[in-house]
Amino acid sequence: MKRQIPLIIVITLGFMFVAHSFIPHTISQDFLTWFQDWMKAISPFAVVLGIMSLFMVHGKKISYKAPNWQYSIVTLAGLIFTALTGFIWGTQAGTPYMWIFKNIQMPMSSTMFALLAFYIASAAYKAFRARSPEATVLLVAAIIVMLGQVPLGTMISKWIPISSKWILNVPNLASKRAIMIGVGLGMTATSLKILLGIERTYLGGGD
Amino acid sequence: MNGKIIAFFDKMQKLDRRYIYLMVALSIIIPLVIPFNSPTFTSETTENIYRKIDSFAGDPTKAVLLSFSHDASTMPELFPMEVSVLRHCFERNVRIFTICWSPAAAPLMEHAINTAKENYDVTSGVDYVNFGYKPNSLFLPIVLGMGEDISEAIDTDSQGRKIKNLDIMKEIKNYDDMNLVIDFSGGGAALSWVTYARAKFGVNVAAGITAVMVADYYPYLQTGQLIGMFRGLKGAAEYEKMVDVFASYETDEYPNGRPFSKEVIKNVKVPITKSTIIYIEDGVEFDTGIPLNYKYKVARIGMNAQSVAHIMIIVFIILGNIGFFLTRKKDNL
Amino acid sequence: MFEIISNTVAAFFTLSIFSFLYKDNPFYKFAEALFVGVSMGFAIPLVYENAFIPFVYTPIFLGHKFSLIIPSLLGLLYTFRFSKNLSWLSRYPIVFGMGIVGMGVPMSIHSSVLVQMRSAMLPLDTVNTALIFIGTVTILLYFFFSKDHKGVYGKFTNVGVWFMMIGFGASFGYTVMARISLLIGRIQFLVGDWLGFIK
Repeated sequence: MKRQIPLIIVITLGFMFVAHSFIPHTISQDFLTWFQDWMKAISPFAVVLGIMSLFMVHGKKISYKAPNWQYSIVTLAGLIFTALTGFIWGTQAGTPYMWIFKNIQMPMSSTMFALLAFYIASAAYKAFRARSPEATVLLVAAIIVMLGQVPLGTMISKWIPISSKWILNVPNLASKRAIMIGVGLGMTATSLKILLGIERTYLGGGD
Repeated sequence: MNGKIIAFFDKMQKLDRRYIYLMVALSIIIPLVIPFNSPTFTSETTENIYRKIDSFAGDPTKAVLLSFSHDASTMPELFPMEVSVLRHCFERNVRIFTICWSPAAAPLMEHAINTAKENYDVTSGVDYVNFGYKPNSLFLPIVLGMGEDISEAIDTDSQGRKIKNLDIMKEIKNYDDMNLVIDFSGGGAALSWVTYARAKFGVNVAAGITAVMVADYYPYLQTGQLIGMFRGLKGAAEYEKMVDVFASYETDEYPNGRPFSKEVIKNVKVPITKSTIIYIEDGVEFDTGIPLNYKYKVARIGMNAQSVAHIMIIVFIILGNIGFFLTRKKDNL
Repeated sequence: MFEIISNTVAAFFTLSIFSFLYKDNPFYKFAEALFVGVSMGFAIPLVYENAFIPFVYTPIFLGHKFSLIIPSLLGLLYTFRFSKNLSWLSRYPIVFGMGIVGMGVPMSIHSSVLVQMRSAMLPLDTVNTALIFIGTVTILLYFFFSKDHKGVYGKFTNVGVWFMMIGFGASFGYTVMARISLLIGRIQFLVGDWLGFIK
């Protein structure tokens, strides 16, 4: 029963939504409004899950004094402190909460991704090799596209942006479209499997 | 001699990666610190967004929705796009809404609005509304709900005000009026708008995306499911220039900006090393006297560094391959 | 002055993350740990203000819409996710949101499959439309694994491989561009906003 009832809910709601897509009736609209209100009321509680999970992982590390456990204290202290500033002084611009976001969270978040520029440059030098005709085509296409994006490329030759545009609009388009049709069919199949109760992994383990 | 060259490349092959990192950093720092003027060529994918927004100019029955589906990690690429679009709307009196789906996007959205509106006399609730942060689990209910009634689906704005009581909403009810959605993301978020809002209500969707996603979005451009696309930092740079050339233009004939023209954008240059907007056409300079703030040219300055860095990476690929083939030849001997 | 202090703090954390390029070190570890905590902590007040207050508290306690107590209780069931015996209760809020996949079936077939196929079936009046057609079909054939890629069929799928390589090349070129752009953003902050060298 612990699995059957949730499954029945998914299947019933799922087919009601299939019907909703095709039937523009007021009952169908009322159903959507009801669903919206309920989803809105459920939505804030999902964050509790994230907090609990973080506390459990880092709490365990601290209590077992796992390697680098001191950093777990930093994580939890950061969490509590940031949340408290938001509750005490509010979340508007100019508050300590926004200061933390702007000067701590935001710079670190962008810098994490900026690191990748260094890695891709190092890989360009050490790993991108024209080992086969296919790899050569890949590299040549990449070089033309890279040059086509910057003013310098256009200044070298007007053919560079023209070739880059052609690569993107013809062979690239064909390849992305074929992959997308495949993915689209796969996603539809997965959705159908969920609707029909064949795919159940979202229920998690246990009975 | 040959042996020496091979030995050199052999050594270069084993170069410590930290030297490469240093070169990457320098290739970006130098062009940023010593700025130079390079042309910005606009492309159709960006022009289409500009023209669509411009067609709403001064019309109280039309509006644009900006959806911020990203966090700070992709900000260098997406933020200049957002500021340019907001600036375009404020210049040309286009009503604009903003919304986001994750907590981390809320302050970025606020920051983009504040950055753009500093130089304009615009009021929240009249010229624009920030719908604020809505939990991601409400994405579909809200996207579908807005097809019927935006006020109902959104309910309250970022300041907790009831949307339906706001001035801006008087003549705007659903996607028939809010006929353009631009989603800014580093992933496939714009495609959700295509799948639901476009397919069900026929709304025009455009995407502001990081360059990583650009190649993947091309099929949607060809089918017309996307009316336009910002292609990474370059897209932002293109839009900055279009706003400078058309929306900021002020003469007796066009007191509030001039209409888009392909000829004009092709021929006019706007130097970024100057502190005012200057048009250079066929060698003739015209100084508008309008300040060209750093925040309005940040993407174009960035593109200078982008040029140098791309050339450097291409040189890396070529050098790496020469070394690879030479050392392989040596091993085969 | 306040601006300088704020930018210096931001620069400190930016450089702490960059220090990983040299090698792993306590500054990086500290910044990374703090980043995880601050990111989560940041979400809590916003969810409370933008979701809990308008969608739960206001309608129930001020609007007296008592039926919403049911979904709120459903939402609370999330917390049983980590309980050994009661974790099955957390399935209810999950499955409630899952139902909307019903909408996804007709919609995603429409935009990702039907519209795309329609555009692939345009009259082949130019070389480019013919090439797009050939590319799309040969790649779809390549992903059909139930038949050996040999003989004439293998030749077709091989054409598909070349198209894909050009497509991957385009993606790779753009990926390089994106990574560089992100670094440009950070350096604009360090060199411009913090040190004031960019005018």
